[in-house]
Amino acid sequence: MSLETPNEKPAGKPRAGKKPAASKAGTAAAPAASPYKPVTDALLSVLAGNLQTRVPREILSGEAAELGHLLNQVLEQFAAAEHRKQVAAQEIDQALDSLIALVREGDLSRWNTTTEDPQLGPLLEGFGKVIETLRTFVREINEAALRLSSSANQVLAASTQHETSSTEQAAAIHETTATMEELKHASAQIAENAGSVARVAEETLGAARAGRGAIGEFIQAMQQIRSDGVAVADSIAKLSKRVERIGTVVEVIDEIADRSDLLALNAALEGSRAGEAGKGFSIVAAEMRRLAENVLDSTKEIKNLITEIREATAAAAGAADASKSATESGEKLGAVAAQAVEGILSGVQETSDAARVINLATQQQRTATEQVVASMAEIEDVTRQTTQASKQATGAAAELTQLAGRLAELIKRFKAD
Amino acid sequence: MATQARPEQEFFCFRVGDLRLGVPSENVLEVLRAGLLTPLPRTPSFVMGVTGHRGVVLPVVDLLRFLSKGEARIGPRTRLFVGVSGSFVAGVVADTVLGLRRIPVSDILPPPLGGDAAAEHLLGVVQASGTQEAINLLNFTKLLQTARQRAVAR
Repeated sequence: MSLETPNEKPAGKPRAGKKPAASKAGTAAAPAASPYKPVTDALLSVLAGNLQTRVPREILSGEAAELGHLLNQVLEQFAAAEHRKQVAAQEIDQALDSLIALVREGDLSRWNTTTEDPQLGPLLEGFGKVIETLRTFVREINEAALRLSSSANQVLAASTQHETSSTEQAAAIHETTATMEELKHASAQIAENAGSVARVAEETLGAARAGRGAIGEFIQAMQQIRSDGVAVADSIAKLSKRVERIGTVVEVIDEIADRSDLLALNAALEGSRAGEAGKGFSIVAAEMRRLAENVLDSTKEIKNLITEIREATAAAAGAADASKSATESGEKLGAVAAQAVEGILSGVQETSDAARVINLATQQQRTATEQVVASMAEIEDVTRQTTQASKQATGAAAELTQLAGRLAELIKRFKAD
Repeated sequence: MATQARPEQEFFCFRVGDLRLGVPSENVLEVLRAGLLTPLPRTPSFVMGVTGHRGVVLPVVDLLRFLSKGEARIGPRTRLFVGVSGSFVAGVVADTVLGLRRIPVSDILPPPLGGDAAAEHLLGVVQASGTQEAINLLNFTKLLQTARQRAVAR
């Protein structure tokens, strides 16, 4: 259409150019030849913008009439072309309006503008293709926005969860650090206790060694006592024999005293029979008898003493026997005690060694715990950073979600179907 | 002097069982140990048996049984005194000989009246004075006679 219009215009213009020349000639020849005046008037009217102007044919004749007829034909064609141009412009306006509305309202589904103009057809077809492509884009963007929204939601959820777990992890790590501190203190306490145990075990070891020596001395003393007791028993047996001997001697003395008593009595009787002459004799005999009785009293006392000594020696012998068995059992007990002390010694030795090992182990544990505490502090630091980062990530994810929502909202404005 | 002023009698004093007895010293020949006694059949119970002494067979009398005051036991310390009255000689069992004692006649009290069988053979009683205890003084001659009579009557 546009191609045709310029073609047509030059075709008209030369005519128009010719016309002014003709009109100039006419005007120049007006006073001379007025037959072209209607043509000139008509041309002037057309130039003034009135395209409906036609050359009145009835007033013309000859060449002028033919010229007027041609001019009218030209004007007719020109008017038709103008009309076609207006229609095309109208259709283009409509299409543009439609496009503008489409862009403003985002409704791509309403595109169905058609034309009968064969020149405009390819243009509108091109527009249609562009719109179709846009529609596909919008559909895909819409889908992508939906997916983005759900993904952003997922990311947000994951990030929130990560943040929560990171916070929990930080708390757990803090707690662990506190526990490790406590463990450190406890291990220090244990090390101290183990040290004192080792010290006490050392002292006990010394005491047990002293006890072992004392028990050895005790056993020796017991053996001494036993041999002494045997000697005592021997002495008692000897004493008993001597006492028996004394008893027989005393029996002899008793017998002699008894006989002396009898003799003195009979002597007194003889003296009595001698009358006054035997009186002194009788007195001496009585005195002798008293002596014999004294001896008898003394021997009786001695016999009593011997009985007592016998009882005492028997008791002493019994006591010596008891002492012997007691010392024997004392020796046995001493041996048992020695064994027990040996056991205590080995046990205490083991205890001492174990306490030393515990002390060492707890010291190592303490250093290890300190390292763990240091590592925990680093981990806590890292975790704090992680928490910070995850917070930021959550914020970003929230923003992303918001943006995705907004994008979806925006895309929704474009109706593709 | 004092002896003349206060006449005395000498007694052979002894103890048998719970009894303290005295026999006039002229009735006592000598004192022996009570050795082994040979029991004699068909004799009164107060004759414990016989024993030989200086070639003489001597009957041995238990005064406790004779006076119905129990019975004597022969031990290692038991004495036997040889009593004599006229031609009669007998051994008498004594647990312990207290000794010869001179007792003033005036101190001798008559035996208690209405006494038992023992009382008829008593000369008297010496009361306890100071450390000395009461002693029954026997009429040994009469006692020996009674004993002979009882032995024969049997």
